[in-house]
Amino acid sequence: MKNPGTPDNHFGELMKAAQEGDAAAYVRLLEEITPRLRQIVRAQRRFLETEDVEDLVQDILLSVHAVRATYDPQRPFIPWLLAITRNRLADGGRRYARSAAHEVTVENLAVTFADKSANTPMDEYGDVTALREAVASLPPIQRDAIEMLKLREMSLKEAAAESNTTVGALKVATHRAITSLRKILVKER
Amino acid sequence: MTGNTQQFIRQLAEQAAPVRKLPRPYTRAAAWIGLSVAYIGLVLLLMPERHDLSSRLHDPLFIVEQLSGLVTGIAAALAAFTTVVPGYDRKWAILPLLPLAIWLGSLGPGCIDELNQFGIQGLPLRHNPWCVPFIVLLGAIPAVAMVVMLRRGAPLTPRLTAALGGLAAAGFANVGVRVTHPEDVSVMLLVWHVGSVIVLSSLAGSAGEYFLNWRSVIHASEKS
Repeated sequence: MKNPGTPDNHFGELMKAAQEGDAAAYVRLLEEITPRLRQIVRAQRRFLETEDVEDLVQDILLSVHAVRATYDPQRPFIPWLLAITRNRLADGGRRYARSAAHEVTVENLAVTFADKSANTPMDEYGDVTALREAVASLPPIQRDAIEMLKLREMSLKEAAAESNTTVGALKVATHRAITSLRKILVKER
Repeated sequence: MTGNTQQFIRQLAEQAAPVRKLPRPYTRAAAWIGLSVAYIGLVLLLMPERHDLSSRLHDPLFIVEQLSGLVTGIAAALAAFTTVVPGYDRKWAILPLLPLAIWLGSLGPGCIDELNQFGIQGLPLRHNPWCVPFIVLLGAIPAVAMVVMLRRGAPLTPRLTAALGGLAAAGFANVGVRVTHPEDVSVMLLVWHVGSVIVLSSLAGSAGEYFLNWRSVIHASEKS
């Protein structure tokens, strides 16, 4: 049972309005819960840089947005939010552990011009024809995303407008395209 | 607030169309049960081969077995729909364990009798080969409906949710098969019927992350 006047009830009312399409209430809700989410992320992931904390906060906000239809205004809001937050934090932790397992710590990174290995000419890096063929073999949505964002260097907003899709869908298509390209090119090597 | 996140919130709000609230888990479970019962009933009506169940309806163990199998399916469906709504207690997931235990227990006396009668080497495990495919056939549409309905929720525990959904579908299908297949060889029932339900539920659980994941939920919300 919810108590009137509590933050829970306040958030619940804002979410109810947001579910009905009130964009202002939605912005207000997300702005009010963001500092709390940031605080939780910082407390749970003390080792993260500010940028990584912000990425996780945005990930949680995106998840809240995606499943906002599951919120029942008759039930408390904060346990609903915390369940999503805990879940996304656990997913983020697993992703971090996976990526950390594939990273190699390098103490003396060869970046100076004096170091021969740092002066590899760009032309010798990779196989342009293979890359072009790999891009051509992608599904149309992924190929368009790569061409617009990586080759024509359009912004996400411009590319979304030109391809009549959303920024989020473009991000997903780009991510998938890069994963596919990596697989194709590694296989060919 | 960090500018980047502020801008991100504005973008989310711009995309935020009104949404249809998800009905409560027990309402969704009731809808799924109605659909599954209708489908299984229709398939059984269309079956050419019928068995006379009237003699079995006086057997208390048969009644307990069918009822506990049915309640296992109902409890598993309710638990599955609860696990996709954030904020519900995780303890809902253990709801099907009690009827499942009663279901297994209802087969216990028969198994012990057969073990005493035939010994472990001579246990009768030969079985109608259509039994398992029939459980799959009867459970297929309920399972597909379950997946479609679960994908509207939050994928908080994909494997557990899918295993519960699989248990619900296979549990209902098993009751349907038992109506047409009312043998009372308990070891055979334990191996082929309960075993099939557990295996199908485990398979569903292991595939849970393929159809219940945040990536597809977020992608679907961006398209809507």
